[in-house]
Amino acid sequence: MDVASSSAPGIDRAAFEEFLFREAALLDARRFRDWMTLFADDGTYWVPSVPDQPSPFDQASLFYDDRELMKTRIDRLEHPLIHVQTPPSRTVHLVANIIVELADATKGEFVVGSTVIMVEYRDDAQRVFAGRQHHRLRLVGGGFRIVQKRVDLINCDSAFEAIAVPI
Amino acid sequence: MEMPKGEAAYRTERIGEHRLMHSGHVEEIAKLIEPGRIHRRVYTDPELFELEMKRIFGSAWLFVGHASQVSKPGDYITTELGRQPVVMCRHRDGSVQVLLNRCSHRGAKVVNERKGHAPRLVCCYHGWSYDTDGKLLSVPVPEGCGQGFDKEALGLARAPRIGDYRGFIFASLAAAGPSFDDHIGPIKGNIDDLVDRAPDGTLALDVGMHRYVYNGNWKLQVENVLDSYHVPFGHASTVNKDGVQFARREGDQKGAAVIETKKQQTAGSWRDRKSYIVGNGHGWTSNTMLDDGKRSSPAFDEYKRVLADKVGAERATQILTPRLHNSLIYPNMSIMGLNIHVRVIKPLAVDRTEVTIYPIRLCGAPESMNFGNIRLLNVTHSAASFVQTDDLESFVRTQRGLRSSLTDWVDISRGLGDEEPDRELNATRGLATHEMVVRAQYKAWLGYMREAT
Repeated sequence: MDVASSSAPGIDRAAFEEFLFREAALLDARRFRDWMTLFADDGTYWVPSVPDQPSPFDQASLFYDDRELMKTRIDRLEHPLIHVQTPPSRTVHLVANIIVELADATKGEFVVGSTVIMVEYRDDAQRVFAGRQHHRLRLVGGGFRIVQKRVDLINCDSAFEAIAVPI
Repeated sequence: MEMPKGEAAYRTERIGEHRLMHSGHVEEIAKLIEPGRIHRRVYTDPELFELEMKRIFGSAWLFVGHASQVSKPGDYITTELGRQPVVMCRHRDGSVQVLLNRCSHRGAKVVNERKGHAPRLVCCYHGWSYDTDGKLLSVPVPEGCGQGFDKEALGLARAPRIGDYRGFIFASLAAAGPSFDDHIGPIKGNIDDLVDRAPDGTLALDVGMHRYVYNGNWKLQVENVLDSYHVPFGHASTVNKDGVQFARREGDQKGAAVIETKKQQTAGSWRDRKSYIVGNGHGWTSNTMLDDGKRSSPAFDEYKRVLADKVGAERATQILTPRLHNSLIYPNMSIMGLNIHVRVIKPLAVDRTEVTIYPIRLCGAPESMNFGNIRLLNVTHSAASFVQTDDLESFVRTQRGLRSSLTDWVDISRGLGDEEPDRELNATRGLATHEMVVRAQYKAWLGYMREAT
């Protein structure tokens, strides 16, 4: 990223902010199925398990879902017998430090970096997830679709207690 | 690293509880294990836990790591064997060494990374340096060493015994005891079953790892790997409206039939699954009848072709016929034949456990096949997976429930008396929804715990 340059030309920065804030709001409202529709048909959700992980294919990840796996995950999140969500998690996301890191006007694709902090409360315990996330967004019919959401947690290689909801 | 938060709270709760036994007394420990039930203290007593660290984790053959994790001289990984921090490294002569990761000088942990490469191991505190076979190489300001300073005697302590079977490295922290062959012999075939799937005949544990922790006793995870009884209930959320689980293997169109939805009960094929024990606490569960001959995908078909080229079509078919679901190599590791992986169980406290799951790279298999295995393991066994997370919830709730002292006993009697010999496999057989495997684990547990040291 070129620190000296300003954000992408041609697209209002507020539009990216609005999109990321709305995405976070869907997760916090547990509207997972609506959240999934933000992804392009070829969209993926990736949470690596080591810092600077170059690829989701050749080593383990915490999450690496395409739309099909995302659907299975969400079917499960809506299943009445998902024990690890009895009681369900309550989350709040804070998305900040947004930088449009890449703008490809010809492809209509953008990479937006942001810092995410998710506080999760469940079953008398509260914990914090924090990291830098990157959304590769595609302009489709005047709106954005997520081509890839990648969340690099600062503790991605630690041992976690069960994680049930997307970050 | 979080504090093992359960233990302190638990100790507070214990105040005032009547102590039934002087921990460590052999006859008293034997009273905790009955033919069809075990005392809850086995999971909740911090003093028993310390005894386990000494008598089981301080003497049994424990899985340390795989040779592929230290492929070049100077490569190392660090882990813990019970309470002992160890570093497993590859020495110049090609040997794999398991050394105590504790400076002989003032006791600091020498290697602080989970894995890496170092031609010598240097302590951060005063700079003592060790060779990769543990030998003390040099100490700064050697003229200050006292009279009789014996460099030879001050190397890193070594695991007294090391065993290697097809790259799987085990160590025993006791100088004497059953031999590695005695320990691993009865379950060797299960390691072969996994390794033989690699066209080149070797595996590599070099494709990352999943790590999770839970507030529960280590044996809850050990018991769970061979527990087929829990699946239709514990993993109900992974089963669709037709009672079928999601596809878990490369090339499968769907997963196993788990629930018979019309009757809302465990599916017949699931009830037919078998489990086996072979002594030493080891055992395995047979696979679900997945092979309907329809397993196919570009990656799987290519893999099958490559394997057949190497070993012949008949042998390839034999290798790829699913037989094993999970195999437990007591006390600290399991291997899975369905979503292939190696699992290592590390007790942290009586009610806190860490588990590492290594995806497996089948050497010589097409990249796409290995990628498929890695990818499906993310959704079955990562800390954020569909399967493992519900197990973790069960472990946590079990540990909570077992704090209750109004009922002291845990029932493990399913199938008691129904065990039968399997002469072909030289094993004892039972139904996988029975609890024969758990009883076998406690038989081994008692064997270790009885050894007064």
